[in-house]
Amino acid sequence: MLIVLCAHFLVAILAPILFARLGRSAFYVLAVVPGSSFIWLITQYEKVYSETLPGPALDVDWVPALGLHLSFRMDQLSWLLCLLVLGVGSLVLAYCARYFKSGDAGLHGFGAQLLAFAGAMFGLVTADNLILLYVFWELTTVLSYLLIGYARTRIAARRAALQALIVTTFGGLAMLVGLIMLGESAGTYSLSSIMAKAPELVAATGGARTVLDVGIALILVGAVTKSALIPFHFWLPGAMAAPTPVSAYLHAAAMVKAGIYLIARLAPGFSQTSYWQLMIVVLGLGTMLLGGWRALRQHDLKLILAYGTVSQLGFLALVVGLGSREAAMAGLALVLAHGLFKACLFLVVGIIDHQSGTRDIRILSGVFKSAPKLGVVAFIGAASMAGLPPLAGFIAKEGIFQAFLASAAYGPAGPVIGWTVMVGMVAGSVLTFAYSARFLWGGFGQKSRGMAIAFKPVGWLFLGAPAVLAVLTLLYGLLPEIVERWIKPYSAQFPAYDPNGLHLLLWHGFTPALGLSALVVVFGLALFFWRKKLEILQDKIPPVIDFERGYRQAIVALDMVAIWVTGRTQRGSLFFYLSVILGTAIAAVVAVLLLTEQTWPADIYLLDMESPFQAIAGVVIVIGAIAAARANKRFTAVLMISVTGYGLALLFALQGAPDLALTQMLVETIILVAFVLGMRSLPPSMLQRGAGGHRILRMVLGVAFGTTMVVVAIVAMGARIHDPVSLSLPKLAYEGGGGLNVVNVTLVDIRAWDTFGEISVLAIAATGVASLIFVRGRGQRLPRAETVETGSIGKLPTETFQATIHLAKRFAASRSNPWLVAGRTLAPERRSIIIEVVTRLLFHSMIVISIYLLLAGHNGTGGGFAGGLVAGLALTIRYLAGGRFELAEATRITAGTLLGLGLAMAALTAITPLFFGGYIFQSAILSFDLPIFGQVKFVTSTFFDIGVYLVVVGLVIDVLRSLGSEIDQHEEDGIGGMELIEDDEPLEVGQ
Amino acid sequence: MRGTKNGAAKHADRRPWILKRLPLLVWLVLVWGALWQDFSAGNLIFGALIALAVAQAFYLPPIELSGRFNWLRGLLFLLWFIQQVMIASFQVLYWAVVKGPRIRNAVIAVPLRSPSDLLMTAVGHVLSLIPGSLVVEVDRGSATLYVHAMNAPTPESVAKVRQGIQDIEARLIQVMGTKEELAAVNAEKAGAPLLTHAGEPQP
Repeated sequence: MLIVLCAHFLVAILAPILFARLGRSAFYVLAVVPGSSFIWLITQYEKVYSETLPGPALDVDWVPALGLHLSFRMDQLSWLLCLLVLGVGSLVLAYCARYFKSGDAGLHGFGAQLLAFAGAMFGLVTADNLILLYVFWELTTVLSYLLIGYARTRIAARRAALQALIVTTFGGLAMLVGLIMLGESAGTYSLSSIMAKAPELVAATGGARTVLDVGIALILVGAVTKSALIPFHFWLPGAMAAPTPVSAYLHAAAMVKAGIYLIARLAPGFSQTSYWQLMIVVLGLGTMLLGGWRALRQHDLKLILAYGTVSQLGFLALVVGLGSREAAMAGLALVLAHGLFKACLFLVVGIIDHQSGTRDIRILSGVFKSAPKLGVVAFIGAASMAGLPPLAGFIAKEGIFQAFLASAAYGPAGPVIGWTVMVGMVAGSVLTFAYSARFLWGGFGQKSRGMAIAFKPVGWLFLGAPAVLAVLTLLYGLLPEIVERWIKPYSAQFPAYDPNGLHLLLWHGFTPALGLSALVVVFGLALFFWRKKLEILQDKIPPVIDFERGYRQAIVALDMVAIWVTGRTQRGSLFFYLSVILGTAIAAVVAVLLLTEQTWPADIYLLDMESPFQAIAGVVIVIGAIAAARANKRFTAVLMISVTGYGLALLFALQGAPDLALTQMLVETIILVAFVLGMRSLPPSMLQRGAGGHRILRMVLGVAFGTTMVVVAIVAMGARIHDPVSLSLPKLAYEGGGGLNVVNVTLVDIRAWDTFGEISVLAIAATGVASLIFVRGRGQRLPRAETVETGSIGKLPTETFQATIHLAKRFAASRSNPWLVAGRTLAPERRSIIIEVVTRLLFHSMIVISIYLLLAGHNGTGGGFAGGLVAGLALTIRYLAGGRFELAEATRITAGTLLGLGLAMAALTAITPLFFGGYIFQSAILSFDLPIFGQVKFVTSTFFDIGVYLVVVGLVIDVLRSLGSEIDQHEEDGIGGMELIEDDEPLEVGQ
Repeated sequence: MRGTKNGAAKHADRRPWILKRLPLLVWLVLVWGALWQDFSAGNLIFGALIALAVAQAFYLPPIELSGRFNWLRGLLFLLWFIQQVMIASFQVLYWAVVKGPRIRNAVIAVPLRSPSDLLMTAVGHVLSLIPGSLVVEVDRGSATLYVHAMNAPTPESVAKVRQGIQDIEARLIQVMGTKEELAAVNAEKAGAPLLTHAGEPQP
């Protein structure tokens, strides 16, 4: 069982490789997976139906504390649905191999998703744990979203996919709440235990019973959305934007049946809860009539089927949910029959569409003559849908009529409701008959006007899948007693209404049910013959409630609210943001300070006389901060902010924290570079917009925040009552982490989880920056320097920079003595020989220093972060000296690859110890003797540090490539350059 | 350290990869040893491996050196340089405090003797590190530095600054210039005129 499940997902993961090798024929390989699973399923028949043998089951603990188990159980109901899921799944996958072309875009992803969907469906119907069931439920939702949106570039497909996702997820969430309510009131999340406990639960009174009622109702909401019952039915016709095989599988045989499955699963125990009958009968009957009515208006073959499916799903829900032995029997019979004929018909539509290029019944004409075999297959399917003997649909419908007649006569709901339902159901069946006829006539008939449409011959392989389904439909009709045997154990769980019992038979004799069937045929034929008049009538009756419009209006309203809220809060005013953030911080901290008792430290002094340099650093920081606030040029402001940063680094150094000081220095430098690169495309002087009005407020806010932080620092110092935890860190670092540098060991070993989170955030931020700036994909490599003409990059406009260019031309004329790889690509006026020479002299040494810092960090100053920053700076000077092609030459590995490698390395360091019986992030100290090298001590957490190093280098490259190279390119291309942004207020560009 | 003469550049290309990189590799290994403060064989071998990997991973064109380096002159130059920095620091302090914004500065074109990029860069760095003067532009073709100098109000003082910078170049040629350049500098001492690369100094 586990193998079946895993095989689906594993092969799905491998699918892209298969498609790369085999093209569309890979679908055959994929089809083997559900196909062989189907065979396995057949072999399990004995076990599943035996009274004595235990059925196939599996139970693995997942999170036992939360009642989560990976438990699967195959009973008769699961077995029946698996027949559909695996059988139809296999046929549809095989069909895909002829439906698609090898060159179709995204085929590998599509195949993988379709196969994974089959796996998820299999998991859904066999899951024995409520939460597990929910997981598979949402898995099918997500996969269906991807499958419906297969045509990525078509807005209609994307919108339909999103609509299906939103609607079904909404239901899914309601269902999750319901499942938890059910699980909590039963005290277990095991589905089989809950079903065993059901009578006891239903018998409860008062609050417990209400919880159960509401829980079941919420679960039904999930089933209703998934199975496209009103008022959520509209997503299903919308989902017809999917490729036809998807419609055939998801929207006929599998996914929409998930809701029906859930109803069938819960019906034996809970059909007598308070809201069950109401919801099932009203929604089911309503859906059946609405779907049928709408199907008669459609001109697209696929939409006829889609609305037909909606109608049939209502029918199914109604029958399966009724809760009598006969209805259960007939209901499951219809589930099987419907899966067979509807999938068959969808596949037929796919063939028609594929061979003629249209699905519009007003254009299609004379298809039967061109493709009689296809016509026969379609006829069997449609006749089964209409309920004609001797086909599956007839058997099921006969059974249903009989069951509901019994229900009306003997059921607990009483004859009035019973007969009302009966009438509605017959009306629905009449509609079904009429749209089945419309489908056949529309798809295959020779229309009075217009010639036969061009129709390519259909190959046997293509026709194979629907033909098999049609044959099965016929066999089912001829041998209904086999199906009855399959369903009997399930239906036996229900009370019988009909004293005579129900058997699935082709010929019951002249019964009332047969009479009703005949009635349906007569009225159906009448509706079909008067279809013109019916269409006119339909146009006259306006839709009472248009649910789809309601959905759209709800979405629009949601958007409006979102825009309103965003507009109120995200105004694009930095002053506003900072005021809110700082104001909140001040208010919260001051409130705590005032409301609680504070101990002030005994010895507060303003100046440390033993360290006079501290005062100097302090003065430098203060001057830098004031100058930054008063600067009216961006560049000056940024430089002054850097002054405060370097001053802080000096303070760290003075306080005996060389690691912090080094890192602060490097970070400050990198930030300066990033700022300057980014600022090139902003106007040089800052806009003093509204400064006068808020000036005082800004000052007050700034001073207040600063004062608050000082007070907090003092109070925090005074609040200490225990020895600081840091006292034991040096010992821990050496004994546990094998390093003398406490800071570094803390980062890569003691608090490795924190660092891991941080570098993940770093990688995400780098990716974010890149995706904001890049118009093209970041992954693609920059072109090599040899492809670029000498002196072509970054030319100045000739008329304004005469003298510079004149001087510079001689540069290029100078004898060729390259210092850099791509320096020559720059326009001569952009080059500086001094920087080129210095870069050449420094670059390799800086890289060596960065490696030193990386390796030395465990015991001395340094570490992966500092090392990465130095390497980043080395690359930065390469870029500054030689332009973006120099950068490209220096970094042949893309930033994304580096980030990925770094994260992978860190993750590997995290999990490798598990294989040696350790725990995550445990480090090992390896000490060994080597001939020349002497004793070598190596700590495995160094690998983690290398990961950090790579991530930091990747980040710097990302910044250089996006803020540097890419903006260079934009300016050269004239998009988003200085001129464009200058007339606009920069902060509002993003709005 | 050994290098190549300018004229031998074409020959140099035929040497094996490792020989062409030897100066760089030796330098990187020395840096490695200095960083660890450990010049034991093991550490140096490890450093050599890293140096090789770095040089291989990040290709840059080989540096063309002049072929000679006078260590004694180098040491003397260093002492002289420190002295200059100290003197100039106090001078700039004096100008800044006493004269303030009233001093007149000048941008001066200084033609150099040698066309070597390396020497030009060295001269530029030395004079930029000495307070009061700063390179603002380089004309690579004519080997001319454009220097911003503080307190150069008259043509005489401008000429003095220019001469001072050409003196820096002469000192550097004595340390690491080519034999030909050294001969020219020695000839100047004997009374020959200063021959700049671009011919006559431009105004």
